[in-house]
Amino acid sequence: MTVTSTEVSLNEDQRDCYQELTNVAMGQAADRLARLLDVYVVLPIPKVNLIESSDLHMAIQDAETDSAMSAVCQGFIGSGIAGEALLLFNDTSFSDLAALMNYGGELDRYGELELLMDVSSLLIGACIQGIGEQLEIHFNQGHPVVLGQHCKVDDILKSGNHQWTKTLAIEIHYTIEHVNIDCDLLLLFTEDSVGKLNNKINYLLD
Amino acid sequence: MATNVLICDDSSFARKQMARAIPKEWEVDIHFAGDGVEGVQAIREGKGEVVFLDLTMPNLDGYGVLETIRKEDLPAMVIVVSGDIQPDAQDRVKKLGAMAFIKKPIDAEKAREVLTEYGILTGA
Amino acid sequence: MTDSNIEFGDIHWLMDILQNIDVGLVVLDRQYNIQLWNGFMESHSGLSPQKAKGENLFDLFSEIPKDWFMKKAEPVYQLKTRTFTIWEQRPYLFRFKNYRPITGRASVMYQNTSIIPLESINRSVDHICVIIYDVTDIAVSREDVMSANQTLSEFNRTDQLTELTSRGYWLKELDREFLRCQRSVLPSTLVMFDLDDFRSINGHHGHQAGDQVLRSVSEGLRQTLRQTDQICRYGGEVFAALLVDTDEDEAVIFAERVRKMIERMEIKYGQQSIRATASLGIARYQKSFTTAQDWLQAADKALYHAKESGRNKTTVFQPKAH
Repeated sequence: MTVTSTEVSLNEDQRDCYQELTNVAMGQAADRLARLLDVYVVLPIPKVNLIESSDLHMAIQDAETDSAMSAVCQGFIGSGIAGEALLLFNDTSFSDLAALMNYGGELDRYGELELLMDVSSLLIGACIQGIGEQLEIHFNQGHPVVLGQHCKVDDILKSGNHQWTKTLAIEIHYTIEHVNIDCDLLLLFTEDSVGKLNNKINYLLD
Repeated sequence: MATNVLICDDSSFARKQMARAIPKEWEVDIHFAGDGVEGVQAIREGKGEVVFLDLTMPNLDGYGVLETIRKEDLPAMVIVVSGDIQPDAQDRVKKLGAMAFIKKPIDAEKAREVLTEYGILTGA
Repeated sequence: MTDSNIEFGDIHWLMDILQNIDVGLVVLDRQYNIQLWNGFMESHSGLSPQKAKGENLFDLFSEIPKDWFMKKAEPVYQLKTRTFTIWEQRPYLFRFKNYRPITGRASVMYQNTSIIPLESINRSVDHICVIIYDVTDIAVSREDVMSANQTLSEFNRTDQLTELTSRGYWLKELDREFLRCQRSVLPSTLVMFDLDDFRSINGHHGHQAGDQVLRSVSEGLRQTLRQTDQICRYGGEVFAALLVDTDEDEAVIFAERVRKMIERMEIKYGQQSIRATASLGIARYQKSFTTAQDWLQAADKALYHAKESGRNKTTVFQPKAH
């Protein structure tokens, strides 16, 4: 039995379990993307960390923090577990993405927004649903919100209200074989959700 | 005689899930490996007559394990159990000699289905 | 029996809710024919459910780009995933009037939409539901904020009295130019100048007249400037100009033109006619400057020299011989 305390924590078994659940969910997401674009998506080992909200940018250290990014976020909530999914897209990825998606229009801000929305609908939706199915939670998704186009990572992450101090962060760095497309999908769970999530996980671990 | 079954996955949770999905009536000795290198070692020691193999692993991934099995002509029937369910991934492992592909998350029903289909589990 | 009565009641309520809920609900089949059309859609489109049902979405609403919408909807059928569109992509899916036709400031209703899969009993997706949210207020206030931010940043860049570049913004430009000069062989030159004996203009004619002098001089400067020249009111009656790609000789020509322009100027304030002159100091970028501040000081020194040697003059900074 784990002792419930106000301090949120994550032990090795729990971390391993989150990693595996994410692995399955992102596999489902990648499968959809692969079928849509007719490519092979390289799947990494997801990173699971309990971090201070002020260190959020550390969670995406894999992303080149200097290059310009565009980002979309989408909230989700179910069974008292709340969080946000952030999709950060390297701006250099857009031209290859446009080609793969047969996007005919001009690749201006609006064109990029279209691509960003299409990919984020797919990746975020599949990932959240995949995790939800394994934990038997039905997540409702809010509307996606554009956090910024052509910004630096730090600027994108700065614009939050950061009420919570800790967050469970799951980072998935997607790349696509043979083309220059990379993006980061971050799943962030609020501090007060972590306890409930851990209970669900402990049930699976028993 | 009990069949030597190897579960090769870097996640202890996934290994446990897999072990639970093995049909009760099947007489087996279950062995575990935490990555591809350990997996290949166990197969060489004869612990992997039937192997449940994950793809995404550190050190040596599932594709590497399949290649080694083929190169060294090791006696192992490999069933890939993976979260990477892209059509390409399924094609690649079949070409590398995997017998079957099971999507994660694994459960008893799926395992029984595949084991029966390939005649590994008989008389059930 | 009682149970099924309750169920019947439930469905009845649900239908009522669907009809009255203040979001648009449209159910489409695989061919994009309308299968459900709720009260919100009826009210805003003027099309009754009886008229809409069975009709093709794209036939009825030509404002919906078919290719675009299908790109969002096909994954919902094929992958059983939800998709979303937001007003930033397209302001609306259906061209409806703003809900507040009188006090609202937008003429159309901005919309976000969710497209969700509807599973049939055999788990296949043969229908999708399009949910339409009215986000006009959010969109309008976001656009307000953006245009306000635009104005604010322009506001901060401008000196309010003279509408020249503000000192803060100009100093940033100077820093940038200083860095560029360190890497470049092209010359750049700084001109600082102030109006001679401005205190006595204020004293004789009043501060408001003084302000008018500053405004008129600024207006004259604007007309003398080239596009690449950056000029600001540095403070009080002091002005500074940054002349990019300009050497000393060209700067002298510029400065003399400014000096003569001011000298000739007859500034009217009420019944009064005011005349002014200016002294100017010129300093070209020197490799020996370590900061932009050094550059400013050099121009200031030249200006001081012009003042000392009789005013209404242009002086060029002479770096000390090594």
